Amino acid sequence: MTLNKEILKKLVSAIPMTHPDELGCGDCFEQINEFAEMELLGKSAEKAMPLVREHLNRCGECREEYQSLLKALKKLKIYS
Amino acid sequence: MFNWFKKRSSAATYTNEEWIQHLTPPPLEAAILKLRSFLLNGLKAALYKNVDRGLDDFVQDIAQDALLKILDKLDTFRGESKFTTWAMKIAVREGYTELRKKRYQDISLEQHSSYHPENKEAVEIEHEQPGPDQLTHESMMVQKVMKIMEEELTDKQQKVLQHLMIEQVPMTVVAEIMDSNRNAMYKLVHDARLKLKNRLEVEGISPEEVLEQM
Ligand SMILES: [Zn+2]
Repeated sequence: MTLNKEILKKLVSAIPMTHPDELGCGDCFEQINEFAEMELLGKSAEKAMPLVREHLNRCGECREEYQSLLKALKKLKIYS
Repeated sequence: MFNWFKKRSSAATYTNEEWIQHLTPPPLEAAILKLRSFLLNGLKAALYKNVDRGLDDFVQDIAQDALLKILDKLDTFRGESKFTTWAMKIAVREGYTELRKKRYQDISLEQHSSYHPENKEAVEIEHEQPGPDQLTHESMMVQKVMKIMEEELTDKQQKVLQHLMIEQVPMTVVAEIMDSNRNAMYKLVHDARLKLKNRLEVEGISPEEVLEQM
């Protein structure tokens, strides 16, 4: 027995946002450089790539990596 | 003086085509050096808050490993962004993968003697006996959804959820434990959510209703 109410609560809380077309971490990683570039160029990345945004909202590890990628790119002044 | 000249010689000045050309075997030494120094600077900016000691050594190792990955994957770059942005994302992921593994090793060492997550909570909560007043329609619904979850989720899904949600192990590390990758772990949890969502719909139970009772 590994299931308990804590897991149930977390799963059920995530249900309203659950749908069949979600991106996984791999798809997100594939597109994240393009997403970051649009973001730094001031283009609306969220509109162009809403599923990436959605994955970032849901997945803490991809979000952490994305925020750090932005930090690195800003520091390196690639888009300025 | 001559700032524009200095700027022109920075990593950002190769075009994507030049990067690919210079890094394709046999790679140009100057391009390798340029890319490595670029990764080092980016990694420092990205990770300095996450590394307490030995940041320089850590990013040196990460930059080297990332460089090998980048060269190895060069033919998968499709030009959707600047090459340097693509390279940097590979380095950042490499850095976080190592950080998460290391952090988890430290935690499990600390907790090794006193902490046995497999037996925690699950047992306690399962054997919680409700008093007669609590055995209402509501708590029965929670129990029903518990039962549904047990029926719908595979052993593997249950195990992964236990690691992620109870033991708070990062997904990167769970992937390692399960001899898998992060994408597969995400999909596995996604499938679990989707199964539960569909089954609750069939049963006419709304998630909000369940949460209210918990
Ligand atoms: Zn993810």
